[in-house]
Formats: sequence, C-alpha cells, structure tokens
Amino acid sequence: MPQTSTAKPGDGHSKGLFQNTAGFSTLITVTVLSLAWLAGFASRLFAVIRFESIIHEFDPWFNYRSTAYMVQHGFYNFLNWFDERAWYPLGRIVGGTVYPGLMITSGTIHWILHALNIPIHIRDICVFLAPVFSGLTAIATYLLTSELWSRGAGLFAACFIAIVPGYSSRSVAGSYDNEGIAIFALQFTYYLWLKSLKNGSVFWSICTALSYFYMVSAWGGYVFIINLIPLHVFLLLIMGRFSQRLFVSYSVFYIVGLLLSMQIPFVGFQPIRTSEHMAASGVFALLMAIGALKYLHSLNPKGQWKQLLILGGLIAAGTVFLAVVLLTYMGVIAPWSGRFYSLWDTTYAKIHIPIIASVSEHQPTTWSSFFFDLHVLVCTFPVGLWYCIKNVNDERVFVALYALSAVYFAGVMVRLMLTLTPVVCVLAGIAFSILLDLVLKEDEIPAPQVETEESKSLYDKAGKLKKRTHEPSQPLDAGLGMNVRSVTLILFMILLMLFCVHCTWATSNAYSSPSIVLASYGNDGSRKILDDFREAYGWLSQNTAEDARVMSWWDYGYQIAGMGNRTTLVDNNTWNNSHIALVGKAMASNETAAYEIMTMLDVDYVLVIFGGAIGYSGDDINKFIWMVRIAEGEHPKDIHEADYFTERGEYRVDSEASKTMLNCLMYKLSYYRYDSGGSPPGYDRTRGALPGNRGFKLTYLEEAYTTEHWLVRIYRVKKPDEFNRPRLPLAKRTVPTSNSISKKLALGGGPTTSKRRKGMMKNKPNIVKGKKAVKLE
Amino acid sequence: MSKIKMLPAMDKLRFSFIFLLFIVIKCESVNVDTVSSDIRFKNVDRTIDISSQLVKITSKLTLENTGGTPVKNFLLAVEQFAKNNVAFVGAKDSSGKDLRLVETTVKGHDQVRFWRVDLKDAVNAGSTAIVTVETVLTKALQPYPTAITQQEDQLVKYNGNLYTYSPYLVASQKTNVIINTKSVESFSKVKPFTQQDGAIQYGPYPNTKPFSEKELVIHYRNNSPFLTVTRVERLIEVSHWGNIAVEEVIEIEHSGARLKGPFSRYDYQQDHHSGPASVRSYKTLLPASASDVYYRDTNGNISTSNMKVKKDSVELDLRPRYPLFGGWRTHYTLGYNVPSYEYLYHTGNDYLLKMRIIDHIYDDMQVDELVTKIILPEGSTSVKANLPYAVTRLPDSLHFTYLDTKGRPVISFTKKNVVENHIQDFQLRYTFPRLLMLQEPLLVVGFLYALFLCVIIYVRLDFSIHKAEHHHKD
Repeated sequence: MPQTSTAKPGDGHSKGLFQNTAGFSTLITVTVLSLAWLAGFASRLFAVIRFESIIHEFDPWFNYRSTAYMVQHGFYNFLNWFDERAWYPLGRIVGGTVYPGLMITSGTIHWILHALNIPIHIRDICVFLAPVFSGLTAIATYLLTSELWSRGAGLFAACFIAIVPGYSSRSVAGSYDNEGIAIFALQFTYYLWLKSLKNGSVFWSICTALSYFYMVSAWGGYVFIINLIPLHVFLLLIMGRFSQRLFVSYSVFYIVGLLLSMQIPFVGFQPIRTSEHMAASGVFALLMAIGALKYLHSLNPKGQWKQLLILGGLIAAGTVFLAVVLLTYMGVIAPWSGRFYSLWDTTYAKIHIPIIASVSEHQPTTWSSFFFDLHVLVCTFPVGLWYCIKNVNDERVFVALYALSAVYFAGVMVRLMLTLTPVVCVLAGIAFSILLDLVLKEDEIPAPQVETEESKSLYDKAGKLKKRTHEPSQPLDAGLGMNVRSVTLILFMILLMLFCVHCTWATSNAYSSPSIVLASYGNDGSRKILDDFREAYGWLSQNTAEDARVMSWWDYGYQIAGMGNRTTLVDNNTWNNSHIALVGKAMASNETAAYEIMTMLDVDYVLVIFGGAIGYSGDDINKFIWMVRIAEGEHPKDIHEADYFTERGEYRVDSEASKTMLNCLMYKLSYYRYDSGGSPPGYDRTRGALPGNRGFKLTYLEEAYTTEHWLVRIYRVKKPDEFNRPRLPLAKRTVPTSNSISKKLALGGGPTTSKRRKGMMKNKPNIVKGKKAVKLE
Repeated sequence: MSKIKMLPAMDKLRFSFIFLLFIVIKCESVNVDTVSSDIRFKNVDRTIDISSQLVKITSKLTLENTGGTPVKNFLLAVEQFAKNNVAFVGAKDSSGKDLRLVETTVKGHDQVRFWRVDLKDAVNAGSTAIVTVETVLTKALQPYPTAITQQEDQLVKYNGNLYTYSPYLVASQKTNVIINTKSVESFSKVKPFTQQDGAIQYGPYPNTKPFSEKELVIHYRNNSPFLTVTRVERLIEVSHWGNIAVEEVIEIEHSGARLKGPFSRYDYQQDHHSGPASVRSYKTLLPASASDVYYRDTNGNISTSNMKVKKDSVELDLRPRYPLFGGWRTHYTLGYNVPSYEYLYHTGNDYLLKMRIIDHIYDDMQVDELVTKIILPEGSTSVKANLPYAVTRLPDSLHFTYLDTKGRPVISFTKKNVVENHIQDFQLRYTFPRLLMLQEPLLVVGFLYALFLCVIIYVRLDFSIHKAEHHHKD
C-alpha cells in the first residue's frame, strides 16, 4: 500500500538511489512495516514453541468449534445452526448469537488455501490468525498515524502496536478470539473515517462503512465506533467546524453503515432499537438540520442567520434528545443494557449481575497493569495528545476524543485495556516522532528521512543506533545543543530498548499460557507437562455415551463441547442466568437436593476441577463462592451465602468450615476419596488445609474418572435403581412377602409420622422391604 | 484433510483391474478339492499358546503317504466354531521355507474351512514329510465373567478342540497348552494330561478319526493386554525428494472384561498392581530410520510418550491419555518420516516401492480393519501392485496437496482381521518421468516471477485517470 502512494515514475532518473527520497523512504517504510509484522508475529509464538499449535483458554474453543462446523457444513448451515449440544435442554441458536466475522475470516482463508491445494488444517489457521492480523493492525495503525501526523510517527506507532503487551495479550497464537481481528478492523475503520473526513469523498466514506461492517461482524466492541464517530462529529459541530466534507462523509457512513450493520443476524434491529446506538442517529439528525440551515444561509448570506443557526441547532439537538428519551420511555428503544450500564456505574454489576462481576477480566484496572501492558508508552502518550490538541485540526480532535474515552473505559474494565492500547501507540508514536524531529534536526537534510530511518533501526538492531547518533554530532557549530541532543537521543533509545525487552518478557511470561496445558518445572529445570484437562476431555469423548450430558460450572462448557464433544448444561456464553443459577444451586446443595436437580436436568456426568493435589488455584472450590452468589440471586430461599462461611466470616474448607459447606455437592465431589497429595495424606495444597470432611461416601454419584493429577474429576450420576438399595445378606433375602407384622408396621409408620415410631426403627432396610411388600400385594 | 477426487477414466481402468483381480480370487476360492485317503498324519505335536489375547496354534505335522502315488499337496481344516476367528494360516516345511497355501472347499463339508498346502517336493509312497503349520485365531478367548471391578483379575475362557482337526487320520497326537499362569479356575480333564506351571499337556492320544472334535475348555487368569485395534488407516506418502511420510490413524478398544463400577484414582495411584487388567502403556516399534515422530489426537499432542532409538528399530512407549480399562476406547494419530532410499528403488523412469502393508502397533496385536493408502508422486502412471496375501483393493483416487495441479494417484486397499503375521512387504511398481520433478520448483519460480513482474509494471506505470494537481507530500 505505501509504495503506491509515493513512488512516482521518473522520480529517480536524475538522482542516485540515496538522493531519491521518495523511493528511499518508500523502501524504508515497506521494510519497517514488514519487520514490524514479522516481529509482531514472532513475539506471539511463545505458546506454540513451548507447547504446541493449540487453541487456548475457553472462548476460543467455541470459536474454533463453530469455525470447524462452518468449514465442514458450509456458511448457510452455520447461520442456521442450532446447537443442541449446549445449554441442555434449551439448546442454542448459534448462527444468530455470534459475531460471525471471525469464523468467516478463517473460513475464507481456509477456502482460499484449499483452492490452491494447500492442505492446512483449520485448527492451524485458527491458531495463527491473530498473530497474522497483528501485522495488519500494525499497518492500519501506520496509516492512521500518518493521516494524523506524519509517516515517521506512523512507523513508530506501527512498531509499538506490533509488540505492545496490551495488544498481544489478546492476540497470541492460539488465542482465537474476536478481539484478534477486531482491533485491526477498529484501527482501519478509524483510518478510513479520517481519510473520508479529510477528502469529503463518498468513496472513502463507503470504504469506512464497509470496514465498519467488518468490525460489526467481528466484535461487539463496534459500539465503540458507532459512538465515537458521532461524538467526533458532534464536537466538530460545537467547535464550529462544520463543512461539506464532514456532511458528506458522516451522512454516507451513517446510512450505509447502519444498513450494513443490520445485516448481521446477531445485531439485527439493535442499531435502531437500543440506546447504545442512539447517539449516532441523533447526531445524524442534527447534522441534517445544520446542513439545511447552512444551505438556507447560503441562499441569503446577508440575513440574520447566525443567531438562527445557533438557535436552530440547539432546537434540533433538543428535539432529537427529547425524541430519544420519549421513545425509550415508550419502550420502542431499549434502555442501556446491564453490561453497558456497568461501564458508567462500576458498582452496578457487583450488585445486580454477579455473573458479570465474577469474571476477572471485568474487574476495574489496577494502576500497575497500565504500566505492565503499555510500559513507556503510558508515560509518553500524553505528550502526543498535548501536541495533537495544540496543533488541532479535524482529525486530531478525533484522536483526542479517542484517547480520552479509551482511557476512561480502560480504567473501568481490565478487558477494555485493549481499546486503549492502539490509541496509546498512535499518540506515543507521535510523541517519539516529535522528539526525534527536535533532536535530529539538521540544517540541510530534511527531517523525515532521518526520522524514518531511526525508527527502522529501532526495530532492527540496537547496534545500528550508534552509527546514526554520531552523524548529527559531526557539525560542531551547534555547540551545546549537540551534546544535549545526543544524550537525549541515547536516553530515549535506551528507553525504547527497555520497552522491547519488557514487551517480549510480558508476552512470554504473562500471556502465552494455553491454560489447558499446564507446565511445572522441577528443581533441575526439567519441565513436566500436566495435561489433565485434555486427559479428561479425551476420556469423555471416547468413553461416554454419544448423547451424555455433562454438568459442570460454566467456565468449562466450551471446552467440554470443543474437546469432549459432549452436551453441556451451561457454557461461557452465559446468556441464561437462571440456568446457570440452577447449576450453581446443584453444586451448592447437599447430595440429595442436588440429585433432584440433576435428575430434573437429565445429568449423566458431573465434572469438577480440583486443584488441591497440585496446588492449582483456579479450581472450582475457589470459584465456588460465585456459584453460591449466582445461585442465591435466583433461589434466595434455598441458598444463603452466609451459610458457606464460618461464623467469623471466613471461607474455609478445613474442620472449622461451616456444615453446609462441608456437605455441599461441590465439596464432596472435590474431596471424595482424596487422600494423596503429600503429607499429611489428603492435604489440600491450594488452600493449605486438611479437608474437614473426609472418608465420606457418595450415595447418588460414583467416581467415573479422575485424571492423573486429580485436576479434573468426573462423576457418573447413578440411575434411581442403582443406589440406596439395601445390601442384604443372602440368607435374609427370603423374607416372606405375606408377613403381616412388617406390613402393619410399614403401613402404620407411614401416615402417623410420630417421632417415637421413627426412632424405633433402627435400620432403613426394613422400611424398604416393607414398602416393597406392600407394593406387591 | 486431504482432498480426494475421482477421475472417471482412471476409475474405469481401475475397475477393470479390480474386476480381474476379483475373478482371480474368485477362481481360487471356488477351488474344490477332495480328501485324499492316502494321507495320514503319523504324529501331530500341537502347541496352543493362549497366554496373550490371541490363540496361536503351532502344529508340527508328520505326514505319511500310505498310498501308491506321490502326494503333492494336503489339506488343512479349521473347525466350524472357529472358522470366523482365523486371522492367519501359514505352513513351513522342515527347512523353514514358506509353503504356498490356497483356500479351498471340500464337498460335503460346507461348514469347514479348508486350505490346500502345496508341498515343494512331492512325498513318495511310504515316505514321510514334516510340515509346521501356524494358525492364529483372534477373539477366541472370552472374558468370563464379562465385567470385573477395577481391582479384579481378568479371567478368560478358551473353548477349543482337544484333537487336531484334520481331514485325515491322526495316528498319534499331543497338545501342549501354554497359559503362563498358575491360577487356572478349571480345565478339561481328559486323560492322559499333566499340569505343569504355566502349561497343560494333553496326550498322546492314539488314532483319532478325521474331523473328530472334543471340547477343550480352559478357564484361567489372563491379565495380558486385551487390546483390539478396531480400525487403522495407514497412509504412505511417497516423495521423490528423498522422503516417505507414514501416518497411521488408529482406533483402539480394550476388548477384555468390561469395567464394572467406579474407577478410583486413589486405588489406582496407591497400588501399582491396581487395575491388573488395565493397559497403561504399550510399545510400538517403528523402522530404525524413522524420524520426526509425532503422536497426537484431535485435541493435540499426547504428551505422555517416550521414544528410544535402538539399533534395529525405534521403540515408542506410547501411553494413551488415560489408562484403558475394559470397554474403554482411545484413538490417535502416529506419524513419522523415513528416508526413501531404503524403500524406493528405480532404474530410469521405473520405480519400485517396497514397504510394509501394516507395521507393528503392539505385541500380539489384533486389528479388525486395516486400510492402507499409498500416495504416489504426481504424474506417476501404470501402477502395478504386488501383494503378499489377498486384500480387497479399493477404488483409486486422487490426492491434492502442496503445488499439485492434477493430483497424486492414491492406491488403497483394505483387509479385515489382521495380526502380526501380516507384517509383510508389498511391492508397487510405477513409472514416473524424472523430468516432472522440476515441475514444482518451476511453479514456484514462475509464480514469484509473475508477481514481481506485476509489481514492477504497477509501480513503473501510471494508471490514474487524471493527474493529481498538487505534488504528493511525503
């Protein structure tokens, strides 16, 4: 792309290669961008090299499963796919409840490769999709930044985004999730928006709308675009920067984008029916009104239009606002959904939607994670922001808005750090570019050439820097400036090097774990792989009935479906809170009550994650308190959170734990026959305690499989005829059925229910026997 | 996923070939023989090895010609109850050379399976010859009880014939049953017999009539792995660039006594002898030159395996993701590369591929269904297969992979009920013009050339409709 924009025929014929600045800078641009792509790709491969080419974590497993389904059955069958393997007995309409952009992207790549007889498995395409797209993101960021500031700043920004941990956290190889491609779409849409705003051309606006369409198909975060662009337009209107270019680009983008976005089944009529999208239509109406007034103004430029314009604008804005409020009140437009509401009121989710609050990535961001994810960029981007505001124009208003809103959202939710990262890279790129401009300014040689070369050497090798830094120090007439310049330059180069080191380190250590394969390191540095998850899912897929239903906490739903290929009750989609609460209730109840729920839900197997034997902290007992909370939200009569704590309000599993805790299903399934795990036997390493309830027996379930390190435990739910049958010695089995005494006892014992009577009957077997006799007669 | 397409013309050709093959097989199987009354077995020394999951019967037959004319061949018979279990029958003469066997029928004995053994040298009147016959039966051992708990030993029952089943009179016979265990629940007691540790000897029994049967039942402990490969698909991809890639997709089931009740990890961990009938791991032997071995399933790499490179083989210690108990199944893919110079020979444009139809999976293996596919380089023609035993040839197809234009021919065949004795070489002759090897590199070079040419043209020439007014800002 870049080489086409600058290479002009006939440019190079009179000068030598190095004098041909256009050709040379194109070469540098292409080289830097491809190196950035390569570095971005390579730095995301830690997980593949350390482990294998495998899909990570939870959501990617669903994306992979549906992609595989689409590749196998075709696109239309995918759109109509009703997945009866999820949310038993409800099922899930997958085609209408996913953003299909991700699947279509990798499906298209798969299709193209196979059309060229390149037989790459769809899994490998899925695994490597995000790293490949990180290169595209770098290019999109380059384009966006060069549109905002200069090409040199663009190259900086491209290099930053290629390796910054805030973005690679979501796009390492194997992390096959919407965000992987959505950040590219986001940056590219913004680039095209600025381009169309600059040119005021319909062509670029349509391109913006198409890119927006891709974004809508890929990620729910498209709402960010459809609110930010109108906000930008609105601010420009307030600043009095209305122009024909703005009018053309926004109206074309809005209309085409709206129609296109409604083509995605999952989005449907939301763009005209929900509050999240109303800003866009309101601004559109406002723009139309102002456009009309401007037109009237142009007909008679001498009239008293100024006041009318302001008044008319205000009236239009008020009308639009009132209309939206009214429509919301009437129920035509849905109010803010809980997920969005929690962005404004950070305590909202904690009180009203525990299921959102229970996810760690929905927690507010800590200060340290800003630095961890962005490193030096977080300190430098305000500089870029300041320069953008100082030298403001239409586009820079946009980036300022982008930065401010993204900073806010990133502060609210860890997850939204992802939307902050690109703009931070853009602004930090601008800041570094300005800095180099200042430091490397020479009298004869124009700055851009040097600057681009510097950014290249940044990426290439640290050794190259020195060569360059000596050059500007040659003309001694600059005096004091020269020394200061060199020192500054060296300092910033060191900073950038540290940034690279930090990025690699953070990506490698924090974000490159597949989380379904665990590794532990021995004292001698040898690595031991704990493959318990796949062991259990493999067992499920091979040794249970094809239609067996597996109950587990929702975290593992996608993995059970993806790797175990079995029906699940709840999964990571979490669309049905009451169903999840029911599972939570079963886990939190005692065995008998849980059995009732499990029979009601036709559960065949129960799967729990237990980390006590190896000290894995993300297991079900540690998550259990959320299950209780979610269950309590729906069944306040049966489940009380306080019952699971000790009297002093502690969450414990040892002998001091509360009775409810020691007898609930989750506890029993985790610790059933758990006597290994170091000394003393039965010691729980995760919680550092000896379980309080041990040596118990299970009545309604039996252990079906436990993995090698006890991480995954699978239980089979017994059928009604398999449990509670008294074991009678052979001699006693010939009790005559016509025994009138026992019959009387049984008949009398039933209805009176006097306590004394009950107490007198010593053993249960007699009762059952009697009942049987009654039935027979 | 490989893409397989069918080419109509080629298909037709193959069909006629298969038809011919079919006719040949049919002709052979329609063979009708008669039981010669001139032959009798002077002595039969039979060993029945039932210590593994297979029944391996080795009989040393002393053949005597009591007639007047030289005898060129004789018949082997298998009882009606065992005829579907027979996986392999082979015969060797006294010098250890393989004899030719043809399956045949005898009038009046429709329920019995016969093989005709062609002797190398005819046996003259009055003289004797010694022939060793090896028979392997699969699924002839029945677990009894059929379901056991985790801690129990597996008991199996063998139902056989106390006498050598033969169309001829047997003057004297002895049977030695190897069970390799002392714990025998019960066994048929037909005198004379002796029970030594790990074996039971029956006989000698004098003068048993042709086709005589007497029940032989042994109920004993057998904890050896009862693994059945329900299906194995072996893919051999030949490259003329020096490499042959082999990939086996294997489905395995524990076909012994089913697991009854729960599986307890605690018990399994406490005591290493827990779950005596379960299979924790097994060894697979690969060719000595095998490299780049991978062992995985649909969920990725199976990280529990070890590889040992030995002098004459590569030994893989494969551990499935979970121990296999009765009735449990697993599946995996095992692949490796071998250098082609060990298996591929050529003179000019004529090539000969000599490889195993099936390779070792584990000791005493039994395979229900085998599918072998051989992918030849693109452009190979006039393929002729030479197989050591009868298999069912499947229709040929085409396989498309990197840089292919018209597809690679795929030769495939299938066989049911395969055991270790079937590990034998097949030979595949085909013609491949050696110049075709340049096709793929040229394709890449041509593509890159065209790409650069396009870029050069695009950059050098101005395709814009109107000239931009202002000079582009850098």
